[in-house]
Amino acid sequence: MEKSDNIKALARKFAGTGLLLIVVAAVTLEATSLIQYFSSQRMLKEEASLRAESELRSTRNQIMDIVDQAESAVHNSIWITRWCLDYPDSLAVVARRIVEENPSVMGSTIALVPGYNKNLPLFAPYVCRTADGGTELKTLATEEYNYPAQEWFTEPLNYGFGYWSEPYIDEGGGEVLMTTYSVPVTDDQGRIAAVLTADISLDWLTDLVGSLRVYPDAFSVLISREGKIMVSPVAELNMHQSIRDYSKGAKDTSNFNLLADEMLSGKTGNVALRQSRRERMFVFYAPVERTGWSMAIAIPDSEIYGEIRRMSMLVTILMLIGLGMLILILRSAARNQRKVVSLKEKKDRMENELLIGHNIQMSMIPKTFPPFPERKDIDMSASIVPAKEVGGDLYDFYIRDEKLFFCIGDVSGKGVPASLVMAVTRSLFRSVSAHEKSPQRIVTLMNESMTDMNENEMFVTFFCGVLDMASGHLRYCNAGHNPPLIYTDKIQFLPTKPNLPLGIMPGMSFVEQETDLRYDDALYLYTDGLTEAENLSHEQFGEDRMMDVLRMRRNAQDNLEAMQKAVADFVGDADPSDDLTMLFIHYLNNMQPDETERHLILHNDIQQIPQLAEFIETIADETNLDQGLAMSLNLALEEAVTNVILYAYPEGSDGLVDIEAIVSKEKLKFVISDSGKEFDPTAAPEADVTLGVEDRPIGGLGIYLVRKIMDSVSYERTDGKNVLSMIKKL
Amino acid sequence: MEVNINKEDSVTTVRLIGRLDTPASQEVAQSFEPLMSDATGTIVLDCSEMSYISSSGLRIFLSLRKAAASQGGKVIVKSISNDIRQVFMMTGFLNLFEIQ
Repeated sequence: MEKSDNIKALARKFAGTGLLLIVVAAVTLEATSLIQYFSSQRMLKEEASLRAESELRSTRNQIMDIVDQAESAVHNSIWITRWCLDYPDSLAVVARRIVEENPSVMGSTIALVPGYNKNLPLFAPYVCRTADGGTELKTLATEEYNYPAQEWFTEPLNYGFGYWSEPYIDEGGGEVLMTTYSVPVTDDQGRIAAVLTADISLDWLTDLVGSLRVYPDAFSVLISREGKIMVSPVAELNMHQSIRDYSKGAKDTSNFNLLADEMLSGKTGNVALRQSRRERMFVFYAPVERTGWSMAIAIPDSEIYGEIRRMSMLVTILMLIGLGMLILILRSAARNQRKVVSLKEKKDRMENELLIGHNIQMSMIPKTFPPFPERKDIDMSASIVPAKEVGGDLYDFYIRDEKLFFCIGDVSGKGVPASLVMAVTRSLFRSVSAHEKSPQRIVTLMNESMTDMNENEMFVTFFCGVLDMASGHLRYCNAGHNPPLIYTDKIQFLPTKPNLPLGIMPGMSFVEQETDLRYDDALYLYTDGLTEAENLSHEQFGEDRMMDVLRMRRNAQDNLEAMQKAVADFVGDADPSDDLTMLFIHYLNNMQPDETERHLILHNDIQQIPQLAEFIETIADETNLDQGLAMSLNLALEEAVTNVILYAYPEGSDGLVDIEAIVSKEKLKFVISDSGKEFDPTAAPEADVTLGVEDRPIGGLGIYLVRKIMDSVSYERTDGKNVLSMIKKL
Repeated sequence: MEVNINKEDSVTTVRLIGRLDTPASQEVAQSFEPLMSDATGTIVLDCSEMSYISSSGLRIFLSLRKAAASQGGKVIVKSISNDIRQVFMMTGFLNLFEIQ
């Protein structure tokens, strides 16, 4: 379970990392894009501003060139005008020269200050260019015109220096945009005598300013000193509306007013006008010196930022594609993660099935200890610790006819295959030992079955023992298993012939061995998982350590716990390499010193039967048995002995029946032995005492009565003798 | 083992005195042979003085009971001791015989 939690946490962590990665990547890309956007925007604006300023400068320079020409033409004529003041008729010549020598000058006048020449209260000859390229002389000194009231006349006198008039449409001269430069002219005494003017056509200005194309959608505006719109892309506005009037109807009025103020006060700069929610217009403005005009270039920000907006759109799209790919990559990674998780689920299910397998396996073997709490003559303990969920080790035991059948085994290999063979082996042991008392026969029959069906070349090392509980006689047969230990007065290996393991070769003959257990003797069976248990340094637990642990005590349960602890301490953190199985048997049949033995030996003569009555009577007297029990015991003994006398020896031959009575406080045990032919009375079928008269067989009651009267009856064939042990608890 | 057989009309009373063990059964079987061959009447087995019975004794009882059953006779077991009653019980003989 800890592992699975770790993997889930890891998956969560990974998913979290993925999300974080996406967010960080998105933020980084967005930030990069924004930084790039704003820096590009700033750069573009700077560039636009530079371009606008440069255009403004160059246009202003071009205007100034013409202005300079016009001013120069006028100024250069001041001295000659001064000369001619006293000769008014020559003034028209001066004006004509100005027009003829300066292509940009459309007309020129020299208007005398009224009163300067007493003879000429008003005098203003005017020379203007005609359509055919010639000149025409007119006079402005008319009553209707009243030139002394005109701006071009008054302003230079007020200021005392050159003055550029507000532009105007020259109605007489073909509806052209004009402006007039006028300067006051003083005479030799320093008196202001006249105003010298040059009319300059501003048609070229419309072309010049109109041709300003910093950006395709940019446009230029020129306003006069008074704020009149001189040149703009909208022809209707030109010379008809002032910038102030226009600003009233314009969008973003406050900024437009600001722009108007700045321009009218002759400043240089720029202002942003909001056209709509998304569109702005940058207006760069600069004055045109001396004329009092101001020129502006208006550039919609879509012009300036159009490229970068397209770029940033592209970048955004690319970024989104990148993010999308990143998400796809992460999702596929997450899917892999899920695959890992689903593999994990499969593993969990398998582990669960293995757990069930483990439980089934464990339910096959006796595992309640002490296994026979009602018995005082035997104590046992056992355990299986599989290295994996399921293992190939087994032990089993049970008591039948006062015999303890027990076995221990180790299937080659580990895991599920081994566990299946283990289950088969255990079933075979139970089914074969149900009819057989000889370990050799049990092992042989099991070997035959297992070699028959062993297609997978698996084998089992197996040790089988049958302990006669009454006599302590142990018969055993080994099939390739580790020899068990026996603890009598000292601990040692039980002499054991190795033989071949089960399942290897059919027709194998296994050798049976035997020994006798006495009170307090112990048998320790184990699999090599115990002796070969390894610690982290790959040392094995070994036989010496095992024997040291077992030497300390004989009690089965205590020994098991001590051994488990010793192995656990030794192994430490190393992984278990093999199944570990132990089966400990402590024989406690108390044929204790306080018991008495009596012997009776009879010949195989039925007439000697009455001696049994005397034998029982003696015992009954000694142990104060009641008469009824004595009669029952007599009956059981007689039935058993009669069997031997009548059937053990061939008719007419002489044979002996040995009757041994072992009497203790708790029980009375008879052991009847003879050297006759092998005969197991306990194998006879049980008589059916419920049958009616007609169906009831005459015989079969003898052994039935023996079983009924005695608490346990067991038969042994030992050393060519039939040995029947019968116990009656007292 | 002493066996006294006393026949009055159709009722034959058999007194068994002593221990009916295996060797005794062999003698008693011989004594019973006339009874077995003519078991039409009522045979009363008086066990009041029989102190012991083995399976061979039970066999004789059963053989007699079978003979009587086949010949239309009747076997009554009379006055068995408690200990022997236990043996009868264990072997199901209580159901096979009329016990008095």
